[in-house]
Amino acid sequence: MRGAAIENDEATAVARARAGDLDAYEVLVVRFTAPAHRAATLLGAGADADDVVQEAFVKAYRQLGRYRGESGFRPWLLAIVANETRNLLRSRNRRAGLLMRAAVREDPMPLEPDPAESAEATERRRFLVEQLRALDVRDREVLVCRYLLDLSEAETAMTLGLPKGTVKSRTARALTRLRDRLPVKEVPGA
Amino acid sequence: MPEHDDLIGELRELGRALAVPQPVDQRNAVRARLARPAPHRPRVRLWLAAAVAALTATVTLVAPARAAVVEVVGDLLRVAGIEVRREHPRGSLPANPSPLPSTRTADLAEAERAAGFRVLVPELLGPPEEVLLADPDPGGRPRVVTLVFRGGTVRFDQFAGNLSPLFRKTAPDAQWVELAGVPDGAIWMASPHPLTYADRTGTEYTATARLAGPTLIWDTSELITYRLEGFATLEEAVRVAQSVR
Repeated sequence: MRGAAIENDEATAVARARAGDLDAYEVLVVRFTAPAHRAATLLGAGADADDVVQEAFVKAYRQLGRYRGESGFRPWLLAIVANETRNLLRSRNRRAGLLMRAAVREDPMPLEPDPAESAEATERRRFLVEQLRALDVRDREVLVCRYLLDLSEAETAMTLGLPKGTVKSRTARALTRLRDRLPVKEVPGA
Repeated sequence: MPEHDDLIGELRELGRALAVPQPVDQRNAVRARLARPAPHRPRVRLWLAAAVAALTATVTLVAPARAAVVEVVGDLLRVAGIEVRREHPRGSLPANPSPLPSTRTADLAEAERAAGFRVLVPELLGPPEEVLLADPDPGGRPRVVTLVFRGGTVRFDQFAGNLSPLFRKTAPDAQWVELAGVPDGAIWMASPHPLTYADRTGTEYTATARLAGPTLIWDTSELITYRLEGFATLEEAVRVAQSVR
């Protein structure tokens, strides 16, 4: 029931924002800043994630007339965030040039070491991040959305502007490609 | 993808282990930017310039007959019953819309009988969710008929425009645009703007001033004025406006 109440709140806030109520829009800004920022960061915006989020909220407000509400406000906003992040990466690459790409500013995927974890596990994780970053951007995007951001298939489709079937096939392909890059894990007892 | 279950598990774990810095509070920045009118893209501006040029010619030609209906006087845009001042609103914008005076609900047939003009419906939007009659005269004839769609986010107002201005709007970004079948064009206001209603005695109701979203307004040769509010883009507003039957 609580989920339904929140959904209803969200629909009301969107409806009022669409009628020009900036107070109602602020409710949405407060609720979705953190997920939008996390998505922007992990999709590669790094230290520019805050700028991406602000731009996305301004654009989302001006495009509210196109919002249909099928899968909620979050994936709809994340689609704008993903698009802004792509624009950012494109202009950053143009600025930096291809040779500099590997050394671009801050790490877009900062890894926080867990002190309780073994050095081996931390090392494996770091390696996983490196291989993820080395993937083709289209493969990386679906994996980031589906598993790192924990979005559903439908939400991922909306965020990346892809048909659902494409999300499914691209996810499978990306997983295979990522696995090919990883050393075979030793299975205990084998 | 059962063969990838362990890898998927690892990726989910990784998602939890990645540290993302605290996001900046965006409330004030977003609000400040939304309070400014949206920048027009050059392509749109060129198109609008062409539309305005075409309309200027139209106005010159039809001016003698339609002088009372459409005027372009400096920065005052006027469609029958609506006056738009192209300037920045003074003071702060009202945050909560309030209804027009003496509003009651009705159905379409009743609205048509009471209004004394044909009440039109934008076909693209389907049947209205609500029909409102506002500010009736002593005989019960409403001045404004409002159809409400999409949970209140879209409003379609119609009224006899051969009256002194009912609505006053202040919108620095108001523009003339072309609308097929409407010889004098329409006025498009892309950003939210204050809307003041003037009642039968001409008194302006600042108390009923409300913030209107993006709005397209136009009138017909029968001097009925239409006001469509709630679409973010001009393209969408025009599409819906052209489905009015």
